[in-house]
Amino acid sequence: MDKLKIIDANEHFSPDLESQWIAQAQQGDQQAFHHLYENYHRRIYALCWRMMADKDSAEDVCQEVFVQLWQKITNFRGESKFSTWLHSVASNIVLGHIRKNKTWIQRIFSIEEQAVEDTAVEMPDCSNLDRKIQKLPERARLVFVLFAIEGYRHEEIANMLGMAVGTSKAQYHRARGLLRESLSE
Amino acid sequence: MKESHVTDKSAEERLSAAIAQLPKEMSPQRDLWSGIDIAINQSSVAVNQKSTNKVFMPTAWAASVVAAVLLTWLTLGPELSTSQPSVNLVAAMQQDFEQQKHSMLVNFGTPDIKQLPVAMQTELVKLSSAQKTISKALADDPNNSDLLNLLRWTQQQELDLLKQLYSPQWQSI
Repeated sequence: MDKLKIIDANEHFSPDLESQWIAQAQQGDQQAFHHLYENYHRRIYALCWRMMADKDSAEDVCQEVFVQLWQKITNFRGESKFSTWLHSVASNIVLGHIRKNKTWIQRIFSIEEQAVEDTAVEMPDCSNLDRKIQKLPERARLVFVLFAIEGYRHEEIANMLGMAVGTSKAQYHRARGLLRESLSE
Repeated sequence: MKESHVTDKSAEERLSAAIAQLPKEMSPQRDLWSGIDIAINQSSVAVNQKSTNKVFMPTAWAASVVAAVLLTWLTLGPELSTSQPSVNLVAAMQQDFEQQKHSMLVNFGTPDIKQLPVAMQTELVKLSSAQKTISKALADDPNNSDLLNLLRWTQQQELDLLKQLYSPQWQSI
C-alpha cells in the first residue's frame, strides 16, 4: 500500500503559482487569496509582532493587513516582488496603527522612549534575540526591525517614521548597543 | 583595554549571528483566517460605500462652498461692468483645464463616467456647472481676480476628484 504522501507547501510553492494566485485573487477568487494568506501570514505576523511587541495587537493588525490586502490587491501591478509590496503595505499599516493608538500628549511630545514593560506577554517559542527586541524602546525597536530585519534603507525609514535620517541611524546604533549589552548579560 | 575591545567585538559578532538566525516566520496563537474570511465577505459593500463617502464628503463640501460664494458674489457683488470683454485668459484657462482633464482620463484608461455612483456623477455635474457660471460672469468682468481664482479652484477640484476616483492609491504605499 502506498504511503500517504504529505505535500510540502514550500517545496510545491513556485513564483508561477504565486502569480496565478495573485491574478485569481485580483479577480475576486477567495480560494486563491487563501493560498496567499497561507503562504505569507506567518511572515507578516512576525513583522507585526516585532514592530508592535505585543501578541494581541500583532494578531489584530495582521488580520487587518490581509483584509486591506483583499480590498486593494488589484492595485498590485507587479512592479516589485509581491512579498516586497506586501511587507511595505504591512509596515505602513502597523505604523498607522501605532500612531493611531498614541495619546495626543505622546504624539505632541514624542514620548515613546520607555521600554516595553516586563509584563508584556512573551511569545512562548520566540528566539532569545526576539525577546530582547521586544524590550527595546519603541523608536529604537521600529528602526531596528525595519533596517536590520526588513532591509529598508535609513532614508526610507526616516520617511516612514517622520524623522531625520540621522535620527534613524542613531536609533539603530542605540538599538544595537542595547541588544549587545542585553545579550552579554 | 585590549580585552574590552575583544569583548565588544565578540558581542557584536554574537549579535550579528543572532540577527542572521532570526526566524523569518512566526505562528500566531489563534486562527486569524476565520476573522479575515468574515471581514472580506461582509465588508465588500461597506467598503465601497465608505470609499465613496471618503471622496464624496470633501467634494460635496467643495461644491457647497462654490455655490455659496457664487450666490454671494452674484447677489452682493459689484455691478457687472460693461467693459470690453477680453476673455482670452478665461479661454486659455479653460483650454488648459480641458487638456489636463483629457490626458488624465486617457492615463486612467478613458473610464466611463456613467459607471460612477450617481452621487459622484452629480458632484461632477455641479462642478462643471459652477465653472460655466463663473465663466459667464467672467465674460462680463474679465479682470475680476476673485472670479479667476474661483474658476481655477473649481477646475482643480474637478481634477482632484477625478484623480481620487480613478488613480490607484495603494501602489504609492
